Amino acid sequence: MTTRTPNFTGWRAVILSEEDGNTDRLRRQFGLLGISASLQWTPLAVADLPDLVLIDADRGWDELLPISDIAPACPVVALLGSEAPGRIAFALRHGAGAIIPKPVAASAVYPALVLAASVHAERVEARRRIAHLEERLKLRPIVFAAVARLAGERHVDEERAYAILRDCAMRRRMPIEQLAAFFLGGSETLREVG
Amino acid sequence: MKIGILYSTSGPYGAMGRDAHAGAEFAFHDYRARGGSLIEPVFFDPRADLSAYLEGARSLIRDHGCRHIVGTITSSARKEVIPLVEKHDGLLWYMCPYEGFEANENVIYIGGCPNQHLIPLFDYLLPRHGVRPYLVGANYVWGWEMNRLARELIHNAGGTVLGERYLPLEETAVERIVADIAEKRPSFVLNNLVGPSSYAFLAAMRKLGERDPAFLPENCPVASCDLQECELGDIGEGAALGQLCAASYFDTLDTPDNRAFKARLAGWSGGERIVSSLFASAYTAVSLCIAAIEAAGSDAPERVRGEVLARAWPSLFGDMRVDAATNHAALPFLLGRINDRHGFDVIASAPALAADPYLTGAPTKRAPRLRVVS
Repeated sequence: MTTRTPNFTGWRAVILSEEDGNTDRLRRQFGLLGISASLQWTPLAVADLPDLVLIDADRGWDELLPISDIAPACPVVALLGSEAPGRIAFALRHGAGAIIPKPVAASAVYPALVLAASVHAERVEARRRIAHLEERLKLRPIVFAAVARLAGERHVDEERAYAILRDCAMRRRMPIEQLAAFFLGGSETLREVG
Repeated sequence: MKIGILYSTSGPYGAMGRDAHAGAEFAFHDYRARGGSLIEPVFFDPRADLSAYLEGARSLIRDHGCRHIVGTITSSARKEVIPLVEKHDGLLWYMCPYEGFEANENVIYIGGCPNQHLIPLFDYLLPRHGVRPYLVGANYVWGWEMNRLARELIHNAGGTVLGERYLPLEETAVERIVADIAEKRPSFVLNNLVGPSSYAFLAAMRKLGERDPAFLPENCPVASCDLQECELGDIGEGAALGQLCAASYFDTLDTPDNRAFKARLAGWSGGERIVSSLFASAYTAVSLCIAAIEAAGSDAPERVRGEVLARAWPSLFGDMRVDAATNHAALPFLLGRINDRHGFDVIASAPALAADPYLTGAPTKRAPRLRVVS
């Protein structure tokens, strides 16, 4: 298997922290990686999200990073010196996919970025799949209704009715839910079967 | 003022450590020969014991007051030492080719990273020998990461890796790997084995070539990024003849600086001596450290680093610049072919390349499909 070398060239990062030795070291490593970084200790504007957010989880407050773990819009890395469960929970709540311990060691930065970016990509993909499946789940009653009507009209059992719908959907290259909706709406007569 | 020298002169990479140790000694000889007396070396030999590197570095820093350590060969030893050097805000001078993905403020890197050795090596090999290599390596981070990157480069070139095998550091049972190579018939072999495994492998590949000329070096070369002149004596007579190695220095380099260096060295060691790139690199690291301490008028690491980064320094590698962002030296690329005099003939070269330790310059870009041309 080939692992691609992670490349952050051209990324924009915002470090939500006060300036100190740790942020100096972060900026240095970011420079090496081709990432442009800015520093602020005021809430991040949701309208202007960067490619990557780092947040001081020792001292951060909720409004500092107004995105949540349910749908973080970009990879998040927590800077953490404390071991207090509350601060770790803060990091998780704000979607941190990796932690860089304080004081920041140069060798901790790149691995954390790779981890956070990968966790973020996985979450985005998982969210997309869940949304897709939920949508199909919501449309299930329409499929049931179509099966029942088709079984009644064509005098076949429900299993056969379902097979007809599925085959037609496949032939027309559309989801079965969509085909069922067309059939119930009268714009699809399923002429070629039965 | 003292500079710590930390090399293992025994163990699986002892030949390399002895050469690096000697290169450091010769740099101090040169320094004293021109009247220098303020800076002294302190040698520590960890005898290839990983935990002894940390003890050694601690003793050099705490007991001897060294603020600079030149040393370590393997990445695992370097990683052992770095946290301590960081803690004391000293400088580690590392001078071996390595697998990249590191750029520490407290380390000056004089050895090359992959965009300075592996990538130009592949740029040479792929159009000439094809895109179906076999990868072998020592079973630790050097072998793993070099082969990972090789795999990526081959993938981008539209090629196929025919096999990838690893051996523990001192393992010399290479028969199964060589049998697999004989069966798969790759276009070339990338050898990231270290020490005795590498020597046994090269000897076995020679035998295979004698049985089947398709595996002679001119048809299916074995290419390395870390084979040294000082090791060629340990490989069976003629076994590595014609094989390839990438480096930034070879003994045979025909420049006025290298001729003068070799003449001085012959005087010191009482006869002609073949210089490996490790000897030359350790010599360069120590000489650069001494010169920068003299220029700074102090061994305070931040001032020494400032001096190193401020200008180009004459060296065996040509004028050497250390990049302020990465702390890595720009290095020339040389491709050597092993000759019958325990040395390398330079068959291709490129001028000094800046280091790109994190490969941010997208050197792994998808290249046009290459075809076997030979």
